[in-house]
Amino acid sequence: MKHLSDQELMSIVQAGDFAPASEIYDRYSSRIYNFAYRFLKNSEAAEDATQEVFVKMLKHAGQFHGGAKLSTWLFSITANWCRDYLRKAENRSKDGEDVLITLPAPAELSPERHLERREDEQRIQKALTLLSPDQREAILLSRYQGLSYAEIAQISGCSEGAVKTRVFRAMEVLKKALTGDARGGDRCLTAIP
Amino acid sequence: MPDCDSMRENMPLLLTESLDPARRELTHQHIETCPMCVAEWSAYKETWSILDTLPELDVPARVKQRFLAEVSPAVTPNVVPFRRRSAPRWLAQAAAAVIIAGGAFYGGHRMTPRVELTPTPATLVNVQPAPFYSIAESRVLPAASISPQIEGRPDIQNVQFTDASPSNDQIGVSFDITSHVTVTGRPTDKSMVRLLRYVLENEDKQSPSRSRAIDWVRSTYAHVGNPDPEITEALANVLRNDDNQGVRIKAADTLRSLQSTMTDGTRDALVEALKNDPNPAVRLKAVEALAKLARSGGNMDPDMVDTLRKKASQGDENVYVRVKAAEALSSIQPK
Repeated sequence: MKHLSDQELMSIVQAGDFAPASEIYDRYSSRIYNFAYRFLKNSEAAEDATQEVFVKMLKHAGQFHGGAKLSTWLFSITANWCRDYLRKAENRSKDGEDVLITLPAPAELSPERHLERREDEQRIQKALTLLSPDQREAILLSRYQGLSYAEIAQISGCSEGAVKTRVFRAMEVLKKALTGDARGGDRCLTAIP
Repeated sequence: MPDCDSMRENMPLLLTESLDPARRELTHQHIETCPMCVAEWSAYKETWSILDTLPELDVPARVKQRFLAEVSPAVTPNVVPFRRRSAPRWLAQAAAAVIIAGGAFYGGHRMTPRVELTPTPATLVNVQPAPFYSIAESRVLPAASISPQIEGRPDIQNVQFTDASPSNDQIGVSFDITSHVTVTGRPTDKSMVRLLRYVLENEDKQSPSRSRAIDWVRSTYAHVGNPDPEITEALANVLRNDDNQGVRIKAADTLRSLQSTMTDGTRDALVEALKNDPNPAVRLKAVEALAKLARSGGNMDPDMVDTLRKKASQGDENVYVRVKAAEALSSIQPK
């Protein structure tokens, strides 16, 4: 199966044979999980997202069109799931429930290196939480998934211009948070209402 | 003169190298002549680089188990009639098990072996033990030794038929088939090293697959004191030859993390990448690996030092590459 293209695998799924499920999962689960984790900062939610995205992929395989990239379609499902999760989490918070924020199990590193890496990771994750969900979605898809603005626009359901603005504004916030550099930031932000 | 705000909006696109040539040129020209934007561009690159340090997380195995369990009735392998597939690219049915009972029946000859696995210390799982096992071989099997039940979805290609000869009533059907083999062993076992080298250098010739192989090698050998030099040499070959910049970036970065077995060949591959790779991110990873080598007092040669010197002072080179090259030079201890 691993030599088949995404389109060929999806053709099999669309014909009602779910045998390629495992292969498709192996190809994309890491990207989906990491995107969801960075978006939600919650490993349990990221696990649920990953599982449900692939289940939805199988259930709604008929909606996938061969002309599109499978990755774009999967990220669309994932982004929708994450946005939905945040909306529900917000409602839960209003009801007084805490949103569980958990970190994945640490890798086997020396204590010093582990501490250093954990601090870096927390600093970046904290900076990402400063972004609006739209900005976070755009920067995660651009920086970590290497998607073009056209693909991000398709996933986020907005124009390429909107993606450009979201990434730019996200970078302004992250620059300030991660490098302490606010040069020109206010000026640029006021230039884009 | 273009205004600074519109130029700064282009900076994220410059970082992803997705700006069209005309606007890229215009933006670079503006940055070079605008002190404010030079500083801004530098901060953008620094931020972009910091974001890169966020580690990739492994998906817990339970997620796949849960997913497959949820859809299990649908993914249970079907028993299908034994027939030739019509599609030309039905390749590699990794999970399909064509039960060829009694592997010891095989005779014939081996085709040109690409990778051979010696029987020890690696072991084969779910395969009849055999004194030698080649993963590129030719077998001749009597029909009686093959289960009449063809399970899974066997992938067969290059089917040829041999007519019955006048002297007997035998016929022959030959085909190529890919079966699923699991080789287990320690990361330091030579058989395993040789197999991983083959995977790194040949896997599919498709970058996503090779990229996964590099990730796996990196995480596996991060905990091995001195990985076999064949692993780093394979990564060096990937760095030299892969068309995909993302794969070359990973190869260079993994070489940085496996410094303990840096050979002259791998160091030279990093120097070549620093000199000639068209992608600045690859050059950056290469110079970071060389800087680490310099800091650790590793094996350096005049060409490496000369290249670092040139890069540190090369005006049109990426700023971060120049800075790292300068750092590497300052780390070199005079002998």
